[in-house]
This record gives sequence, structure tokens and C-alpha cells, in this order.
Amino acid sequence: MITYEYGTTLLHQLDPRSKLLVQFGFAFAAVTTTEPAALVTLTLLAIVALTLARLSVFRVLWTYRFVLLLLGLAPLFASLKFGSPWIALEQAPPSILAGYQVVLVLFISAAYVKTTPVRETRAAIQRHVPGKAGQLLGVGVGLVFRFFPVLLRDVRRARLALRARGGDVLSTRERVRRLSLLTIEQAFSRGERLALALRARCFSWNPTLPQLAFTAPDYLFVVIGLVLVGWGVLQV
Amino acid sequence: MAGQYESVKLVGDNIVEYFAMAVIVATLTGAFAQVAFPYPFSPVPVTLQTVGVYLGGLLLGPVWGGLALLLYALVGTAGAPVFANFGAGLGVITGPTGGYIVSFPIAAAVIGGLVHRRVKPRPLDTVSIPLQVIGMLVGLTVIYAIGSVWLAASTDQSLVSGLIEGGVVFVPGDLLKAVAVISLVTGGHLARISFVE
Repeated sequence: MITYEYGTTLLHQLDPRSKLLVQFGFAFAAVTTTEPAALVTLTLLAIVALTLARLSVFRVLWTYRFVLLLLGLAPLFASLKFGSPWIALEQAPPSILAGYQVVLVLFISAAYVKTTPVRETRAAIQRHVPGKAGQLLGVGVGLVFRFFPVLLRDVRRARLALRARGGDVLSTRERVRRLSLLTIEQAFSRGERLALALRARCFSWNPTLPQLAFTAPDYLFVVIGLVLVGWGVLQV
Repeated sequence: MAGQYESVKLVGDNIVEYFAMAVIVATLTGAFAQVAFPYPFSPVPVTLQTVGVYLGGLLLGPVWGGLALLLYALVGTAGAPVFANFGAGLGVITGPTGGYIVSFPIAAAVIGGLVHRRVKPRPLDTVSIPLQVIGMLVGLTVIYAIGSVWLAASTDQSLVSGLIEGGVVFVPGDLLKAVAVISLVTGGHLARISFVE
């Protein structure tokens, strides 16, 4: 699992907005290109990003192993043909290439995830998505992040309790039914308490947000992001 | 940073209630995405993730259900490990399974729209059970339609083989989950939880 880890690298010090721009620009450029030369450049960029984030390639690949499994299966399905001769091997290479583009974006986004606390992304959302939608989305991101470990523990406890009471002999469907019901009931009673707590704390449409500020390296990253976006546009 | 010093504009009580439940449904979807159960034909773990989509649409209606699942997608993209196998980040969205995540808010809104036919959710015991079941099945179709097109596009295969890969990998487990949630609906359990007066 890759999540935010405290650090003092260059990427940690950047403003989340410049990192987001680079990330989206990179993803855009990566999915629009099929040129080998362009892919080599993007690969180098991805490796630089991983190095700056002090993240090993193998750790990223292991984290996303099930995504890789699906990507690995894709060329097999792509070479299926309906009707004689049933196999069209020439359709496999484009599929492998497309899978490689996905892996590159995984590298960049892993570097973002490791170096950016969720509260900074939340501040960027709340500041720049206009109106009440922006407020709700921003606060919502913060709250979901806060509640995730709590509900995960609830689900695990319910699972253990179910198992301790002989749940293993039940059919999968019945286990899914019981586990969902148990955790939904618990979660909704937490939701009611959350609503009360939000009201008690004067949940408002105009709160004071955490600070965000650009520093010198941010401008460089904004330029990189814009160049990547422009490159992606040229390739469309 | 410019602080705001004018008077505080409180969020209305009703909105706070729906919003808190949307947060809970989003979080629950993330927790369910980590519950893998064995399924013999699937190369990837089958998780309870889509149960969150059904809950969003059935209990919160089109707007708040859609918002709940949008929050789920945003939180995961922002870096919280809420996607399946504790995944996170934009790379998961642009990846082969990203279409399923993107389809969740749309599917929840569609389910909510069919079942409630207005913004404010109705109590579930006033909605006919066949309608709820149809809503869920339509929602599941939306998830597969968007998810398979995305899978096919992100791995450059034909739509048909994308549908087959997605279908072989995910459909059996998802049907089982739909059946389990339907039994919660027909048993009246969700109507009991449904919090609107």
C-alpha cells in the first residue's frame, strides 16, 4: 500500500496544485501518445518523479499488482477473434503498449500520493471548486479520510464476529448479506452522530481553510505541467 | 491567506443530515472495497465495493447518492487508500478498472433517480420493491457499460473483448452481491435503516 509518508523531499515541499497540474498533464500526454520516442521521454520523467519521491519501481508495481494482472490479461482477450482462425496476434502489441501507458501514469500518481497529504488536496479542492459544491466536496474529502480507518475497523470486527459464530459454514451470498447489513446499520448510526457533531460545531458554508502558497520550484512544475498538457493537445 | 471575518453562514439542518450520510456511504464504499471474498473464476479479488453504489442510490436518492460516490472517487484520487486492495491515486482512474470507479456516481444517480424520482429521497417502504430491484439492475448495467468501454479503451482492445474481459472477471461476483442486497431490500431491512421521515 502506498499512502502519504512524511518527508522533506522537493516533492513534499511543493504546493499540491502544481503537482496536480503535472500529474494531469502527464496522464493526458501519456494516454494520447503512441510514439516510441515520446514513451521513452515519459518513462524517464516517471523515473525522475519516483526518484524524487524516494519510491522504488518494484514497490509501485507490487502495490498495483491486480491492476497489472488485468493489464496482462488484456492482450490475451484483445487477440481473440470471433470466427476462424479465432486468434489475431497482431492485436496484442497495441494492447501491451496501452497497458504500458497506464503503468507510467501509475508511477506518477504513486509519487503524488506518497508526497501529498490528503488535507492539502482537500484544501485545493475546497479553494478552487466554486460555490457550495466546492465546500461540500472539500469537507467531504476530509471527513471520508478521517472516517475510513474507523469504518474499516467496524467491517473487520463484524467479519471476525461473523466467523466466530460459525459464519464460515454459511453460503457466500448469506455471508455478504449479513456482513453488509451489520456494517450498514453501524455506519448509519455513526452518520447520525456525525450530523449532530457537525451541527454542534457550526458547520458553515464559509470556513477558514488551511494555508496554501506557491514557492519558487512550484512555478517550474507549473511550466512542466503546462508543457505536458500542450504536448497532449498536439497529439490529439 | 485571506481569512473570512464576516458572519458565519450555517449549513441547513437537512443538508447537514444528507451530507453526513453521503460521507458515510462514501467511506463505507471504501471499507467494502477492502473486503475480498473468494470467487473461483475470478483472477482479481471480488470485493463488496458495488454494495456502496446500491446504498447511495437507494438510501440517498440521485443527488446525494451521486455526491457520495463522487466523494469516494475524489478521496481515492487524492491519495486515501480507498480503492480495491488499498489502491489510491489518479493512476487507478486512468487504469483498466478506472471506468468502474468513474461509473459509480453516475450509477448511484441513476438508481436514485429511478427509485425516488425527485431530489429528496423518499422513505424506502413507500417505494415498490420491484422498482428498487429494477433500479439496482439498471445501475449495475450502467457500471458495466462504462467500465467495459473504459477497460477496452485503456488497454486498446475491441469493445467486444473488453466486455468479455470485464464480464469474465467481474460479473459473476457482482451478480452475487446484487442478489445479497436485493434480499436486504425484499426483507425490508434497508427500509428500516432509511433515515428520512
